[in-house]
Amino acid sequence: MRFIIRDDEEAACSYVANYIVDRIKHFAPTPRLPFVLGLPTGSSPLAVYRLLVDRYKAGEVSFENVVTFNMDEYVGIPRDHPESYHSFMWKHFFSHVNIRPSNVNILDGNAQNLEAECIAYEDKIRAAGGIDLFLGGIGEDGHIAFNEPGSSLASRTRVKTLAYDTILANSRFFGNDLSKVPKMALTVGVQTVLEAREVVAVVVGARKAPALQRCVEQAVNHMWTLSALQLHPHPMLVCDEDATLELRVKTVKYFKNIEQVARAQGFEQILPSTVRTGPTPLPTTIITDEFPPSTIPSPQPTTSRLLRATPAAEYPVRSRSPSPDFMPDRMASRINEPALLRRLTPDPEQQPQRAEPGLESSVLMSTMTMKIVIT
Amino acid sequence: MPSVIRAAAPRNNGITKLTNCRLVRGDALVWDDVWVSSATGKILRSQAAFYDELIMPDETINLGGRIVAPGFIECQLNGAYGFNFSTVLDDMTQYGKQLRDLNRKLAQTGVTSYIPTVTSQTSHLYKTVLPHLGPSGGPRHPHSGAESLGAHLEGPFLNPTKNGVHNPSVLRTALSMTDLEDMYGATNITPPTTSSPPSSSSSSSSSSSSSSNTSTMPVKMITIAPELGAMTALIPALAARGIIVSIGHSEATYEEASAAVARGATMITHLFNAMRPLHHRNPGVFGVLGKQHPPHPPPPRRDGGVADAEAERRPYFGVIADGIHLHPATVKIAWRAHPAGLVLVTDAMHMVGLPDGRYVWWNGEGEDYIVKKGGVLELEGSGVIAGSSTTLITCINNFLAWTGATIPQALLAVTATPAAMLGVQGVKGSLDAGADADLVVLSEETDASGERRTNLVVDEVWKFGARIFERGV
Repeated sequence: MRFIIRDDEEAACSYVANYIVDRIKHFAPTPRLPFVLGLPTGSSPLAVYRLLVDRYKAGEVSFENVVTFNMDEYVGIPRDHPESYHSFMWKHFFSHVNIRPSNVNILDGNAQNLEAECIAYEDKIRAAGGIDLFLGGIGEDGHIAFNEPGSSLASRTRVKTLAYDTILANSRFFGNDLSKVPKMALTVGVQTVLEAREVVAVVVGARKAPALQRCVEQAVNHMWTLSALQLHPHPMLVCDEDATLELRVKTVKYFKNIEQVARAQGFEQILPSTVRTGPTPLPTTIITDEFPPSTIPSPQPTTSRLLRATPAAEYPVRSRSPSPDFMPDRMASRINEPALLRRLTPDPEQQPQRAEPGLESSVLMSTMTMKIVIT
Repeated sequence: MPSVIRAAAPRNNGITKLTNCRLVRGDALVWDDVWVSSATGKILRSQAAFYDELIMPDETINLGGRIVAPGFIECQLNGAYGFNFSTVLDDMTQYGKQLRDLNRKLAQTGVTSYIPTVTSQTSHLYKTVLPHLGPSGGPRHPHSGAESLGAHLEGPFLNPTKNGVHNPSVLRTALSMTDLEDMYGATNITPPTTSSPPSSSSSSSSSSSSSSNTSTMPVKMITIAPELGAMTALIPALAARGIIVSIGHSEATYEEASAAVARGATMITHLFNAMRPLHHRNPGVFGVLGKQHPPHPPPPRRDGGVADAEAERRPYFGVIADGIHLHPATVKIAWRAHPAGLVLVTDAMHMVGLPDGRYVWWNGEGEDYIVKKGGVLELEGSGVIAGSSTTLITCINNFLAWTGATIPQALLAVTATPAAMLGVQGVKGSLDAGADADLVVLSEETDASGERRTNLVVDEVWKFGARIFERGV
């Protein structure tokens, strides 16, 4: 997990905004292969949106070929209600940048069939090639999107009933009238977020400190759904000093150190190129038959298959290198001498299952004779 | 400097986004964007356009922090650029031509809609000119310039003792509606269809190009002296026809003015001028602004509070803030008395925009001469002030300097307030979605003198979603 700590909210949000801008620029999206961005609502990302808008207005980034998917939306309030997430996104982001309306995806909380809407949303994400970067916030109870405590960590986009606490907290946006507060929401699931090729969560303010502590220092737990990020191959948490209040000094120092060392080595904490790169080197189809059949036995995996199963692998990796992967071989294989190709280590499959008792003593004997010869 | 950023893929849907600007919203300036469509001529509900119709603007214009106000509405204009509305030409086709010319020039001062004012004249003149002066916004052509919302008849049912420069011998007293119809021509003050009469001020018709019955009737407003004849009794009938009744050129006492207001008069024509001055024991017409009307205070409204309900009962009033008609302190007192009712008007004559000199003026019977010297117009040989030769933007700047009002408060007096007075709120004088896209872009210039006085300057004028004027271009 990449964990970036900045002095204050502004610096943290600025880091996130810069990071997103760099990612988009490096990706160099095209209409055919757009950059797919997952977006949150809420107070934490506000400054990020403001900075992104500033960067757009300064002409430093274009959202023309960016496709967005929003995390969640209330059920049952008009789409243009001032508190709807459609309105939030319009007010704080979409109205200020050159994003195409056809590239914007937000769950429709007024759909006739809410379940079908959720399934269609997952399909849309899949059709867009999966999400390249999911930006997220975090609630005081550690929720990501509307995945409140107790949400399944394998959940997908679905209808979610809001906790009474959340309804109470939201009532301030609805004239303190509980009856007007939406009771349900549509939200992407934890698994939907984890399937993004990269997840960046911005956590600012002392109020978020307990949740951050649970998600970073403690185990994966459905009561703090953001902790599921620990299972993601490329998560990044960006926070301010206030949010680290509950963390151990050791943890904070450790992550600060890593960042410092990496920077000193001229190596930012970046993603592996397969995840990072956009469509620029278009993958070429490789017909394997053209390669000579290898006489070298393929190296076996060194780690368990289970550990290697990254969620992102469900989607095609876009930038497969045109040359075949490097395969280590032995120097012996390069010498044209068939006798050397024999395996040096014992091959269990070619050995008899069980040595006969008589043979055992003869082997022992030969060892002894060898010993004698040596002495 | 403000610059124009062209959208990457123009699709020609006629939509322009004005950004980096401060909008007049209520009595505040709000940083926001405004989307206008030259196809519909209206201000767009941008969020709905984006999500529903997947629309992006053709063009985004960065206004560099300037102010965007609704187009100004002028409620008392007698003519301009040498053309007087109260004239009969030998060839009346020339009248229409000169009127269209005036509309285009007038728009460049920021006035996008107005009610052309005809002074006290003979019946023949009214019947000849009124068909030309009716609402002209129907075709919604941006480049036609300023749009008439209907004529304002300032006379002839006025008090001869408060005639101003109106010729006393053409003034009349009305005893019945027939007298009015005979004077103006029945068709000019009768709604074309007899369907439901327009409900009172609360109706804000959402469609501005409406064929609603009042919009094609040539007359929008009549100034009367309520104390004469049966005029007070006729007010409800006029109001029912959708005609705004304004008190002016009147000797009305406080009681008479109050009765007229109670009957449905909703406006006062150039407050203080051509009426009894405020006397502490008989406050006259001005006194109605001090009225605490409701014996039972209305229940507080959810959004606005009590003040609005009270404002509905007090009339709107025109104020000529040209620096000649009224003392600055008087303007300030009137504004303090009833801020939501103040409408800035110019009462400009056709000499506005012309050089100093002696100009002919048709008084209904014969020719008089008006002498223009600087900003002052006087009836030759009498010393009586004969209207003004000021522009609305000058009045706004005077008002700002005299009253200490904020910029949006001052702009309300030429936008939302007159729109509400004329019953076109939400269509004119508004930047809300659905309103006509008549806009003025204003920049602030600080006076060179030591005084920190801000002058507003009209930089751009937009009509029906298209830019029709740009300063210095």
